[in-house]
Parts: sequence; structure tokens; C-alpha cells
Amino acid sequence: MDQRLTELVEELTTSGEPRLEPGRMKELKKICKSSEEHISLAYHLLVTRLQEEHAEMRFSAFQVVQELFARSHHFRTLLIANFQEFLELTVGIDHEQPLPPPKEVAQKLRKAAIKAVQDWHEKYGEAYKQLSLGYHFLKQNKKVDFQDVHARTVAERRREEEKQKRLENIYKEKVKRTEKEMEEMSQEIADTLTEMENCFQLLMPDPFNFGLNDIDLELSKQTSAKEAGPASSLSSQGEVNPSSLGCMDDEQPCCSKDIPPVSQCVTAHGNKQVDEKPEQKEVDGGTCSDVQYSDIKVQENEDNTAIINSVMDAHKLLRNKFWPSVQSWIQLLTRAGVNDDRLRCAIELKNKLETAMKKYKEMNISFKARKRKVDEDEDEDEFVEVPEKEGYEPHIPDHLRKEYGLEPRSPPKAPVAKASTGAAPLSSRTQLKGNEDELDPTCAAATLKLIRDKLPKLPSPRARSSLRKLEERAKAPLMPFGLDLHYWGEDQPSAGKILKFTSEHRFWAPSEVEEEVENKEITEMLKTRYITFAGKFEPVKHKCRAPMPGGTLCERQDRIKCPFHGKIIPRDDSGIPVNAEDRAREEKMKFEKQAAQPEWRDPEFMREVEAATGLDLGSSKSNGKGQKKKGKKQKYPNLTDLKQQANTSRSRLEKKVFNKGAMKRVMKAMNRVDQRKHEKFANQFNYALN
Amino acid sequence: MGAGRASNAAAHWRRPPQDGGAAQSGPGTPAMLGLVAARQAGLDDPARLRRAERTRRVLSLELNKDRDVERIHGSGINTLDIEPIEGRYMLSGGSDGVIVLYDLENLSKKPSYTCKALFSVGRSHPDVHKFSVETVQWYPHDTGMFTSSSFDKTLKIWDTNTLQPADIFHFEGTVYSHHMSPVATKHCLIAVGTKSPKVQLCDLKSGSSSHILQGHRQEVLAVSWSPRHEYILATGSADGRVKLWDVRRASGCLSTLDQHNGEKSKSSSEAANTAHNGRVNGICYTNDGLHLLTIGTDDRMRLWNSSTGENTLVNYGKVCNESRKGLKFAISCGCNPEFAFVPYGSTIAVYTVFTGELITMLRGHYSTVNCCVFQPHFQELYSGSKDCNILAWIPAPREPVPDDISEKSLPQQHLNPAYEDAWSSSDDEG
Repeated sequence: MDQRLTELVEELTTSGEPRLEPGRMKELKKICKSSEEHISLAYHLLVTRLQEEHAEMRFSAFQVVQELFARSHHFRTLLIANFQEFLELTVGIDHEQPLPPPKEVAQKLRKAAIKAVQDWHEKYGEAYKQLSLGYHFLKQNKKVDFQDVHARTVAERRREEEKQKRLENIYKEKVKRTEKEMEEMSQEIADTLTEMENCFQLLMPDPFNFGLNDIDLELSKQTSAKEAGPASSLSSQGEVNPSSLGCMDDEQPCCSKDIPPVSQCVTAHGNKQVDEKPEQKEVDGGTCSDVQYSDIKVQENEDNTAIINSVMDAHKLLRNKFWPSVQSWIQLLTRAGVNDDRLRCAIELKNKLETAMKKYKEMNISFKARKRKVDEDEDEDEFVEVPEKEGYEPHIPDHLRKEYGLEPRSPPKAPVAKASTGAAPLSSRTQLKGNEDELDPTCAAATLKLIRDKLPKLPSPRARSSLRKLEERAKAPLMPFGLDLHYWGEDQPSAGKILKFTSEHRFWAPSEVEEEVENKEITEMLKTRYITFAGKFEPVKHKCRAPMPGGTLCERQDRIKCPFHGKIIPRDDSGIPVNAEDRAREEKMKFEKQAAQPEWRDPEFMREVEAATGLDLGSSKSNGKGQKKKGKKQKYPNLTDLKQQANTSRSRLEKKVFNKGAMKRVMKAMNRVDQRKHEKFANQFNYALN
Repeated sequence: MGAGRASNAAAHWRRPPQDGGAAQSGPGTPAMLGLVAARQAGLDDPARLRRAERTRRVLSLELNKDRDVERIHGSGINTLDIEPIEGRYMLSGGSDGVIVLYDLENLSKKPSYTCKALFSVGRSHPDVHKFSVETVQWYPHDTGMFTSSSFDKTLKIWDTNTLQPADIFHFEGTVYSHHMSPVATKHCLIAVGTKSPKVQLCDLKSGSSSHILQGHRQEVLAVSWSPRHEYILATGSADGRVKLWDVRRASGCLSTLDQHNGEKSKSSSEAANTAHNGRVNGICYTNDGLHLLTIGTDDRMRLWNSSTGENTLVNYGKVCNESRKGLKFAISCGCNPEFAFVPYGSTIAVYTVFTGELITMLRGHYSTVNCCVFQPHFQELYSGSKDCNILAWIPAPREPVPDDISEKSLPQQHLNPAYEDAWSSSDDEG
């Protein structure tokens, strides 16, 4: 029976299931019921299981404990006598001894344990003193909130609090910084807004036309601005007095006689506007889709260029600098929970910026393309219009050569001569190409041609050889000049010879001393030259393209050999080798592989069969790799494999880096370095000491 | 003491255990009956029966659901002291500076009793210790006064009735421990061990620090006066030494206890004259003052002959001791053999003092136990721990002796329904 009890406990605790299996549990209870010895045995078995470093095992053991606790007084006495340890193992009250992984199960275990302690306390607390002590200990010392669903311990709560506090501190700091920034920047913003507003005023001398279309908008804007505060410089400048606007509005018809409407005045350069329209749309980012404002347009001309420039600059400043920073201020302030003047101020600023930007958009300023305009301005007055030329002018008429500052060409027959010489050996096409090349001044051929033109006329074969020579020369690498080149093909008279003066006296010198010494190395050095021909790096353009088991093709770009699929061979779109012999070789390999493993033993199928029957048919053996990976058989296959979970890249690296051998090696190397230093500087006191 | 206790004592007549080490003998042994008979006939010394019963009671100490100590402290308990006259009032000092006075007497005539706190020097008290109270001690001759010392570098003399400090001594360093001689009649000195290696002696008569005892090299963690000679003082320090002083002699200590008893071969030069290889943080005299028990952070406990300073070489095994401060342990009184109650992690280990045998471990605390104190009159043990609990360990009540037929007819009847088993009756339910 004891044997069976041991087995039962093991089976129950290694099932890895969130629930106990009722059949086994019933059997266990039956055994425990029979005598107190069995209860003691079960208790000890369960405590050992509880000490296991696996949360699933602990959780199952805890569930069995719970079942038995409710039933047997003897079990209760045993457990409560050792209640500290029980709490350590299930609630994790000792911070040096946290609950083992997996985390989720540990969390569940803790929750269940706390709930169980509470229930037990309610039911048995009076009778078992240590139980109630434990309950109070959890409640008052470990501050376990028994109502708290999350069953967080005080440590966790403190950690959270600390995090909150740290965040708060960071926010505080940030808010402070923001405040400072705001103080500095708000003046700047106000200035920019004022500038922009003034520019608008200048661009739109007649505010009525501007206000005509969006009077409601203006009004609402104005009121909102007024609400926002008297400090809003923008609205005070930009607003149109509603009363005056109203009366002016009446007069508008007569006024319109004198002042052309904006659309008209803008379209003074009528023809140009058509050209500019798409451009302007681009500038506005397509926001002028609002038809209502489409008739307000400000055309750039030389009168308002400066203003438009400054408006544009200001707008750019607003959009790129102020707007994002104001936005970020607001975001930060709201996140930090600041709800006072600072936030209000920031929102105000944002509103102002938005109004200004909107207004800018409404202006529909149509720009000239800046760059081109500059060109035109320059060209217009000083230069006579010249017909467009494509690239370089190959031929300059002789009568114009002087004008270009060139010497008059003495024999104007060169092209003809060249044509006659070139036509014979070269095909007409290459000849033509050469001709074209020559026309391009950046080409080597052009230089050649220049040289050729300048050279006195030579007989044609020589000309050809010289031509080739020249071509070769153009191809030859450029080398730095050296002595070896200076004496190329000659003997260097004093190569490697060193004058020796043994006497340092001015005129007292031994007569028989050989004054010149020849140094072979120096001679060599002066006569040789190293030229390396490393070639150029060419990136690999092909891919391995071997078919993968997943249906895709191998994407590796190795130069010659893929580490997985061997030598890279040309393959077609489906990964089949193009060459027949390659195909045959691959077929053969495949066949051999299949022969090693009979077809009916499909590994997947085998695994299924094994799982169903519970027999080992050796499916894991069939695949060499799989076997190696599995290693020894897992002891409890139902439990979550902790090693698998712990097998992260970090842990693997840790294993390598903190490997004892490696550490020792590094230590040794460092000690050696130190030692050397000691040896070297042993006579210096600060090294000698340590 | 109360009537409840008297009746309890009467109940003990029925099952007398044997004298001495064989005290665990079964119920109704003839040994006890023999003792009683011998006592009745006047053959035996009256002390013998008393000793036997005391020993039995100490051996049956357990956590009892009928006895509770009110929870006042909000933080760990560092020190406990029971006044020696009546054994009725207990002081406790907490690590938040709070001092609480408990009444241990059960006057309710019911078995279940919670020791009430009569008063406390709480955080709101104007004279409360700022930091952790390390030691509290009653004035040995009267309950009208007690002393407390704390990490706030003070030693306070309290008037129990007004709860005002009568005097405050200030020191340079934190105070680990202090002690007043329980037998002194010619002096009123409090020995104080502080962070400085000098032991201070404060005279209650003059209200000043009268003496300094120099000799230790590190902080003094434990001090204890001999209960036999009023001028003899034992001090233990972090340098691993235990020194015995005659406070009348100004020149130096009487002797330094040596764990190797002067055998040079066993001790390295550094360990010469040390009592422990770690910090000595607990000292306790046996009640007769003939022996001295010390424990240190080397996880050892040593028993010394206090007159010769010789290590008796009693082996207690490993006594787990991780305390950075002083540790208060207790020795029973009037038993045979005597027992030592020593905090051991979150449990209390009970050893026989002279043989070093570990009798039992008392489990009940959930955190480190800092102190325990023995109530000699009723053989009760009180322990204070970091988990804010003061637990009372009470001798187990005798089980009713089944000498009656009627009692036998009611087998397994438990008083509490919680003790009953709850197996479901049907077999298939399990």
C-alpha cells in the first residue's frame, strides 16, 4: 500500500494538469483513510513534492494537500506544525526563496494558497493556534490583502509604488523643464505670430474682402480668442471689428469699384496663374480643396516677395518648430496630470498657432518657383537669348574661335583624316560610337582627339599604334612618382651607398677608412616597387535557390558554396537544377536518404502512433538530428519543461561567458598583463606596492 | 497567584513524572506516586518533588490556543522582561521604539486568557524612544521602575506609575544592551554596552555615568551581572571576547574567557583569548551564577565556569545565530536538568544546559525570534519575534487520565469539532 501511495502521489503531482485526476485522488484518499501512518507518509511525500523547484508540481501537491487537510485531523496537525515552511513554499513569503517558474502557475499557486489559508483560518483557526498565527502573519506582516484578487504581496506593491514614484519624479522634472522652455519660447512665438499677422495685413490690405467669405469664421474665432484671454496678440491684430465690418460690408458695392476684388487683382498676371496652379496646390499640400476660399488668392509678385518670404519663413517656423513643441508640451502636461495655468497657457498658444496656420492656408498664396525665378531674373536683363543647346558643342565655327578665346585651327582637315583612317579597320558602328565619345569632353577619347588634333599629322599606321598606345596609357594605373621611375632602365649610380664619417672632428680624420658603404637593403628598396592587383569587390548577385522543405527556395547568397545545400548550381524557378548531371546527383542523394529510412516509417505518422499506443517504436531514432536534440528521455513529460523555457539566447550566452574555464582564462590573461606591468615598472613605487 | 493556577497545580497530582532526566515517563507512573509518597512520609527533600514537576512542565511547553498575548506592536519585538518579584508583569520593547507592559496573570478563572496590555509607551508618547528599543529591564527589587535602552543612544529610567522618564542617560553610540544587577545591595549600577568598546556604568544614585570599563576592542553587544556576586559583570563584544569584570577594580578585567582554555596549540595567535570566533551577542548566567552561557555568530553556544573562567566544552551543536545585534535567551530555573531556551532562526531551541542535548524546537513564529524570557513561577516561556508576535509557551495541560469506566466509554471525543476527521462515509467517495 505504501508503494501504491508513493506512486499515486508521484503521478498526481507530475501530471502537469491544472486539476487533479479524480480517480487517482479517490484512491489516494482511500489509502489515507485506512490509517494514520499512511497519512504521515502522504504528508511527507507531499512536502517533498512541494519543495520541488517546479510550480506545476507544487501546485498539484498543494491541491492534494488541500483535499487531505479538509479531511484529516492528523494531517492538519502535521501540516500546521510546519506551517512556516508550507507558506514559504506555496505563498512565497520569503523573498530570498521566490516561487519557482513557470510564472503563471506560480501566480495561480499563490492565489490558491492564500485563499486556502483564509478558508482554513475561518474553519479551523480557533482550534489550531499556529494556523491563525500564520494567517495573521500573512495579513499583518506580509500585508497580504485577502480581498485583493491579485493577491499581491507587499513587496510587489512596493515595487509598483516605487515605479509610480519614479515616474512622477521624471514627470516633475520634465514639467519643470517644459515650463522653462515655455517661458523662453512663448515670447518668440508671440513675435513670430505678430510678424505673420502683420504680413497678412500687408498682403491683404483690404480686410473686408478677406472677411467677406468667412465672416462667421472670423467672428467665432474672435470670440474664442477673447475667451482665451486678452493676451492673445494674434486675435487682437487679426480680428476684424464686427461692427465696422458690418457697416463696411454694406458699402462694399461702391468700394468694389475702386478696388478690384482679390481674385481679380490677383489674376493680373492671368496667364501665369494657370501655370502656377498645380504648383501652388502642391505647396499648400492640397488643402485648398475648400471651394469657399478658392477665390482668395495671393499672387506673388516683385512687390510682395519680401513679405511672402517672411510669411513663409514664419509659417515654416510655426509648423516645424513651434507647433510640435507646443504639442509635446500639452502632451507632457496632460500626462503629468498638471491642470493649471501652465496647461491653459500651452493650449492657448496652440490655438493661436492653429489659427495663424489656418489663416496662412486660407490666404492661398501662390508662389513662383523660387529657384527658377532667380534664374530668370538674372538672365532677363543682361544676356541675349540664345537657342537651347544640348550639351557640349563639338564644332566651333572657325570664325567664332577667336571669340571663344581659342587659337584658330591650322589644318581643318582632322575629322576627314580621322574618318578615313578609322573607317577601314573598325566597323562603322564602333567608329560612330568613337565619334560620339570624342564629342564628350569628359571622355578619354576626347582627350585623345585633342592630342591628336594638336599633334602633327603622322602616317596612318603609326597613328594607329600610337592610338593604341594612348589607349593603353589611359588604361594604365596611376602610380606615385619615385626614384625608381626616375632612373627607369638605367643604373642608379649611388643607389644604396652611404657616406660614412667615422670621425667627428672637422679635419682630423683617419685616411684609410672606407667612406662609402653599400647597403643592399636600401639598394633593393630604391630599385623595386610593389604593385598590388587586388581586384574589385563584387557583391554576390545569385542565390542558392535550393528547394526548402517549407516549399520556398533557399535565400542564401554565398559565393560558391551554400553551407546547407552544397555547391551553388544554376536552378530554375522551382529550384530544380538546370544541368542534367546536377539533377541526377540530387535525385541520387534523395534516394539514398529515403533508403536509410523506409517509406512506411513516416516520422510524423510514427510519432502519432507512438503517442496513441504509448510504445516506443523508435521514431525519434530514425532522424539523427532529432535524437541528438532529445538527449535523454524526459522524466516527467507532462510538466512544462523549465529548461526549455530558460533556454534563451541570454542564458546561452551567459553559459558561454561565465563559463568557469573562460573566466579562468580571462583572469589569467589579465593577471599576466598585470604581472608584466609589475616586472616592467618594479622600480616604481606605485607599481611595486600592489 | 490566581486561583486558576492553583487548581491547575492540583490537577497535576495525578500523573507524577519521574525526577530528573526521565521526566518524560508516561501518565500515572509509579515514580511520581513514589515521590509523592516519599514527600508525604517526609523522606524526601520537599525541593525534589517541586523540581520534578517543574521539569515535567518545562518539557511539555507548547503553543496553547488558550493563551494569547495582545498584539500591540506594529513591528518586531526585540526584548522582553518579566519582573522577578511576582512574575506577573512583562515588558516588551519593539523595534519602532514602543514599550508595552503586559499583565500575565489570569484572573478570569477561565482557561482561555489573553494577556492584556496595561499600558504602552506608543509613538505618540512625548518621551518615546526614537529608534528601536534594544533592552528593557525591570528594576530588580520593585515594579515601580524600569529601564530601557535604545538605538537612539539613550538609556531611560522610567517611573512605571506615571510613565515618565525619571532620568535619561545619553551615550555616544547606539546602545545594544544594558543590565542591572539582580542581587546588588551596595550599588545601583547599570552596565551599558554601546557601540563604543568601553563598557559604561551608570549610577542610579548619582544619575551619572560613573565608570568606564576598558578592554574590549569592538562594540559591546551583551552585558550581564552575576546573580551571585554583586560586583561581578560579564560582557561580550563583537571582537569575540567575553570579559569578566570586578567593577571595584579600575585597572582592568578579571579575566578573558578563552575557548581553548589556554591551550596554545589549538588557537592561532589571533584567536587567543577569544570566547567565540564571531561576535558574541548573548550572555546569560545560570540562576545560581556558577555558570555562564554565551552564544556568538559563529553559531556556537558555550558554557563557562564563571568562577574559573574555564570552557566546560559542552557541545550544543550548531546554534543558528544570524543576529547583528544582541540576542536575549533564557535559562530555566529550578529544574533538573536546567534548560536553555535559545532563539534559533524562526524557532526556539530547547537545550539541556549541562549536557548540550537538543530537547525540542518550538515552532510558532514566522520570522526571526529575537528574544525569549522564562517565567520561573509557572514555567512559562514568552518569546518575541520580528513577526510582531509575542507567543506564550505554556506547559501542556494534563490529559484526563482514563481511570474511570465512564470516560472509557466515550472514546475519541474531542472538545473541538475542528479536530474531527471528515472522511466521507461512503467507500466510493473516498
